[in-house]
Amino acid sequence: MKFFLSKSFIAWYFILPAFVIHLLVVATPSVLSLALCLTDWNGFGKINYVGFENFIELFDDRYFKKAVKHNIIWTVIFLTVPISLALTCAYLLTGIKKGQLIYRLVFFFPYMLASIISCQIWKYIVHPLHGIVAWFSKKGFDIDPVSPFTMKETSLYAVAFVDGWHFWGFLVVIYITGMYQVDNSLYEAADIEGATKFQKFRYITLPMIRPIFIFTLMIIIIWSIPTFDYPWILTQGGPAYSSEVLATNLYSHAFERFNVGYSSAIGTLMFLYVIIIVGIFGILRKLGWEI
Amino acid sequence: MFIKNYFLKLFLLIFSIIFISSNVFSKTTVVWWAEANADRDPVFQAKLADVFNASQNEIELVMEFKEGLNDVLRTAMVAGEGPDIVETPGPSYVKEYQEAGMLQSMQGYSDQYGWKDLLLPWSYNAGVFDGEFYSAPKTYETMVMLYNKTLFEEKGWSIPTNLPEYEALAAEIKAAGMNVFSYGSTGWQPTHEHLAGMYLNSVAGPDNFYKALIGEKKWNDPEFVSAVELLRKHMVDEGYWSGSLENYYALGWDDFHAQFGNRGAAMMTIGTWTFGATVSTFADKSDDWDWAPFPNLTAEGGDPSYLLALGTTLSINGSSENPDAAAKVMDFIFSNKAIVLDMANDFNFGEFVVPLKFSASDFGDNVNPKVKRYLIEFAEETGKGNYGYTTWTFFPADPGVHIWKDMEVVWAGDISVEDYMYDHEKLWEKARKKNQLLPVGKR
Amino acid sequence: MIVAKYRRSELISNYTILTILALFSFLPILLLFFNSIKAQEEFGINPLGFPSQIRFLNFYDAWILGEYAQIFINSSKLVIGTIVICLTCSGLAGFSLARLNPKGSTIFLIYLLVGISIPAQMFILPLFLLWKELNLMNTHLGLIIIYSGLNAPFATFLIRSYMIKLPEELFDAARVDGANTLQLFFKIALPISWPVFLTAGLVVGLAVWNEFLFALTFMQDDEKKPMATILFAFQSRFENNWGLVSASAVMMAAPVVILFLLFQKRFIAGLTSGASKG
Repeated sequence: MKFFLSKSFIAWYFILPAFVIHLLVVATPSVLSLALCLTDWNGFGKINYVGFENFIELFDDRYFKKAVKHNIIWTVIFLTVPISLALTCAYLLTGIKKGQLIYRLVFFFPYMLASIISCQIWKYIVHPLHGIVAWFSKKGFDIDPVSPFTMKETSLYAVAFVDGWHFWGFLVVIYITGMYQVDNSLYEAADIEGATKFQKFRYITLPMIRPIFIFTLMIIIIWSIPTFDYPWILTQGGPAYSSEVLATNLYSHAFERFNVGYSSAIGTLMFLYVIIIVGIFGILRKLGWEI
Repeated sequence: MFIKNYFLKLFLLIFSIIFISSNVFSKTTVVWWAEANADRDPVFQAKLADVFNASQNEIELVMEFKEGLNDVLRTAMVAGEGPDIVETPGPSYVKEYQEAGMLQSMQGYSDQYGWKDLLLPWSYNAGVFDGEFYSAPKTYETMVMLYNKTLFEEKGWSIPTNLPEYEALAAEIKAAGMNVFSYGSTGWQPTHEHLAGMYLNSVAGPDNFYKALIGEKKWNDPEFVSAVELLRKHMVDEGYWSGSLENYYALGWDDFHAQFGNRGAAMMTIGTWTFGATVSTFADKSDDWDWAPFPNLTAEGGDPSYLLALGTTLSINGSSENPDAAAKVMDFIFSNKAIVLDMANDFNFGEFVVPLKFSASDFGDNVNPKVKRYLIEFAEETGKGNYGYTTWTFFPADPGVHIWKDMEVVWAGDISVEDYMYDHEKLWEKARKKNQLLPVGKR
Repeated sequence: MIVAKYRRSELISNYTILTILALFSFLPILLLFFNSIKAQEEFGINPLGFPSQIRFLNFYDAWILGEYAQIFINSSKLVIGTIVICLTCSGLAGFSLARLNPKGSTIFLIYLLVGISIPAQMFILPLFLLWKELNLMNTHLGLIIIYSGLNAPFATFLIRSYMIKLPEELFDAARVDGANTLQLFFKIALPISWPVFLTAGLVVGLAVWNEFLFALTFMQDDEKKPMATILFAFQSRFENNWGLVSASAVMMAAPVVILFLLFQKRFIAGLTSGASKG
């Protein structure tokens, strides 16, 4: 009895509700689904065990490889562009008094929109017949009103742009939450020593918001693995797989081609990738990083 | 007086309760899930469900309209649930459900009600799996070439009958500052397979297509490679559709109808499901439109053929407790030409064209003459054997997705046509090995 | 305040940069709003500007066609239910992970991280079968549980990373006064952490309000469906009726914006009071 009331156990009781609900909704069905990666189930009928056949095919599948590459590009884009924008923006915001609330609201605005709404807006803007670019070209400007979603060279970046447009305001809010926790006297001390704005940012703000900063890095890496909504709504992974990511590839196999077993194999590899990433973070944490 | 009145009321009350409840309890409910659509739903409800329910008092037909029906239906079916009447987008779905034992054979009902004699033979055959009838067609369609009739008369253009004429016409249209065809794939990526099917049939010929379907020819044989190569040339190099590959990708349903309607393009390649929309596009225009079958695209020319396609199929759920009632609903449809024509006419025969054996006398004066001409010609020509095949009615799931999804890779120049067709053939071999081929009537 | 120490020239450059970024964020949304009150005929001539003739009828049409009165209630139910369940679970878990550091908590963190990154397409089918067994299909409760599970890892991380920053002395003082763990949570951690609960509530609420894949799959009765599925249906039904589709998009976004505007003051106040010493 005493054992179950020990400090460590009480701590686990606190965790239990979140664990149970997540186990029920995500973990159990996922494990069931992972179990299918060694079968050729089509989503309807008999389940046949096929060994590692799906994986052998997968390593030969050039569009799967393409999707992997795109996911990596996607992650790199999101780790650089929205983060630097949001850090700058949040830092500048802490430096102004008037209109601060309005700016903050405006930055957060796109994040409040559903993915289907943001996609609708941007599809309209670049529409080759009645979008804005088309309007300018009709007015005599020398631009070709081609939608970037329909060109294989640009589609992935165009999709990432829309997702980034929607997402970065969220980072601003997160960073501001952290920056407000920074003790003001630190800045005052730095001012006395004549520190520049950048120095204050580099040596005071950044270290102080480190947990939140690392948290956002981690979130971006992790969230970019299953990214689905924006590529699916805007391009369905096309044209010619030029914006295909892992989740759209998986979805296409599971729901369009009835290859549930194959799609589970993709899911399994995504799962392994996640475990590796998380493992790295885990090791860093063990090494005494505060994350 | 008071008492009498009281008893009278009580009597009426009890009587009506018994009457109402008995009526409810004795009725068998048949649930039918249909893909939701703002224009379609009210018509189905009013002209089919309500009419059926009023026609007899044993069966209550309940229409439920679902968004994204395919996914909702599949998840429900796997869980052993779902409606009594299962509506799918085509035979490849039926095959999967049937293989999994989730559908009931309708052979008995077919024999009992004589459906085989009511339906067009090819459409009936497309529902026969493992020798038994599993799915009945709800609507059929074919690919056609629409053209701006007024414009064609103005310019003295005529419908091409072979490849040189076809390409010459295209060049003239482009020289006149218009796009050759209006069409686009936004909102429905598989649109590419409409074009693929047309070119494969028109260039390689339906006989070769049939041989490939039954495995007597390979899809990477030169006839098919040159068909896909011709499509690639016309799409990418020439920009026949909406001016460029990119614009073709970017235009959706409303866009390409508007483009065709306002002379942005001279012609449109599309399925007959368009008739309703095209009639309304031209309702307030001074131009007139007409249709022709898609021409034969060989150098020497020949008869054009009508591609066979089923839009939607109906089956009975394996877990349905009222298959008899569900079959009665279907028979009600197949044996009432007037109701089918009335419903289909609401969409100018773009929807709910059950492949019944229509003849000229079946049509009233309210039917659009162009549509009427199509329905009669289609029945005649296909009866004579002048028909080809669409990919979405005759291709198993995996090759069926490959034909349109990877077509983009060909158009992007990332893969050669030969390699693409080689991959395609491999998927067919796999499907054949897994016994996934779909029924195709003997040619 | 930090503000006091900035010079004038710096302020001008700050405002310039911020304004450019703000326009980048806001102009597309303004365009959506203009479109929502534009007549269909005007789109070709005037795709960008303010409509020459304001047409509020778009909203009326969308309201009637989409049956928004009922759908608004459905979505609200889901949002409120999820926020209550999800934040309760995540708050307790976040607190434990930040302040109690139980043995093996790293494993749980890893578990949650992995949980976040599993694509929904992968487990939606088995989940469907499971929900069928549990009779949770087609119920708001079923969807609330799903949303709580989906959002729990993120909320837990957010709350944890906030609570980890709280000064230990506060807890020590309370422990000396004889408070048990539950009291530490309710009396110390919760009162000073409520800004992060607001943030988390906002993020989770938004995610639920805007979600459509699960809503589409797990809610089959039209009268129970939430906002996003209706807009999704709208976009395919009225593809190029930009006015109508924009109006329904604005109606979907409006409640969120209004709530956020109302919240804004308390939200910011919460953040600042958390930052000041005390």
